[in-house]
Amino acid sequence: MNVRQTVRNARAFGFALLACATLSGCLSAKMYVDPKLPVVSKADMPVVPQPRPVQVLFEFRTKGNANARATSEIRPRVLAVAEQSGLFSSVTDTAGATDPGILKIVINNVPMDNAAAKGFGTGLTFGLAGSMVTDGYVCDASYTYNGHTTETTVKHAIYTTIGNHAAPQGLTPLQPADAVHQVMDQLTWNALKQLADQQAFQ
Amino acid sequence: MSIMRMALVSSALLLLAGCISAPPPKYQAGVSNTEVLMQSTRSDLKVGNFDAAPGVENTHLSVRGSSLTGGSDGTFSAYLREALITELKTAGKYDPSGDTSISGTLTRNQLDSAIKTGTADVGARFIVTRNGATLYDKSLSAHHEWDSSFIGAIAIPAAMQNYATAVQKLLGKLFSDPEFVKATETSATEGK
Repeated sequence: MNVRQTVRNARAFGFALLACATLSGCLSAKMYVDPKLPVVSKADMPVVPQPRPVQVLFEFRTKGNANARATSEIRPRVLAVAEQSGLFSSVTDTAGATDPGILKIVINNVPMDNAAAKGFGTGLTFGLAGSMVTDGYVCDASYTYNGHTTETTVKHAIYTTIGNHAAPQGLTPLQPADAVHQVMDQLTWNALKQLADQQAFQ
Repeated sequence: MSIMRMALVSSALLLLAGCISAPPPKYQAGVSNTEVLMQSTRSDLKVGNFDAAPGVENTHLSVRGSSLTGGSDGTFSAYLREALITELKTAGKYDPSGDTSISGTLTRNQLDSAIKTGTADVGARFIVTRNGATLYDKSLSAHHEWDSSFIGAIAIPAAMQNYATAVQKLLGKLFSDPEFVKATETSATEGK
């Protein structure tokens, strides 16, 4: 191996290291929660004179297909919101309660654009050509008691920027888990509020 | 030198490939399955033995060099059994000491994480018995498709994830099968 070749190899190694370091920074994803959906909390819920026990049936879907991993992760948050709402005397996800109402919540993740294709293009340019993708979330909720069913639908969205792309105006970046949890919680709170507004729990 | 470089690159790629062996995600009851099962006339069920038919892959399914393994004991028949128990428990239709029992044999178990569309095919023969009498004996199968990817890091987890969905679909077919409904009606099982 001559000197020229050694220098060439060292330069190639250095470039590879630099590329790796640059890639890790440029391709970081940042998430932003859509601000349109009202922030709802327990204070916004009506007082139910005689709360009943409820069994929550929850499923998270990706493009309409059941997503077991996400269902498992999000279900405790949905149950927690139902408990905190004060609308029910007890909350469970399995059968067993006496004369329970059935609260069905299905959240479907609907990509609004081709995230994989955009991310691929961003990767090819080492993040210089940044991209933004939008994940839509549609929450179909229903409450059934004594043969009567009340239904509602709530929509939300998360914007994800990849690489060198400007943030959506006025929005604060969140860690991915925080953004997803915030959206799931708010979908559930809003769904319960809308069902309560329709007198579902009276 | 170029051969040495190629060897280094090949080694790096092999390391990066990171072949994994993992079970499907913990089974979650399907909302529509629960709703069907909650229909009041269904009797509670005990879940018996589940195994696999000869020639049906019961421990490993290949996913682009990685491998999907089975349920708690490493078999897919156990995964199916545990999935059934999860569904019955969620709907309040599980009774481990009940008179009516359901058992099964895995008859089909395939997973393909192709570049464009991933597919899973799961089939089983289900048998419902009470006091030695067979109330239901039928083979069912479910086919499930999803958007796959050229990129393994996306395609492999998607395949593992969607295997669970295929099992959920298979159980959905069982629960909504009119013959199964008839066999597990309270009146049908009480009269035997």
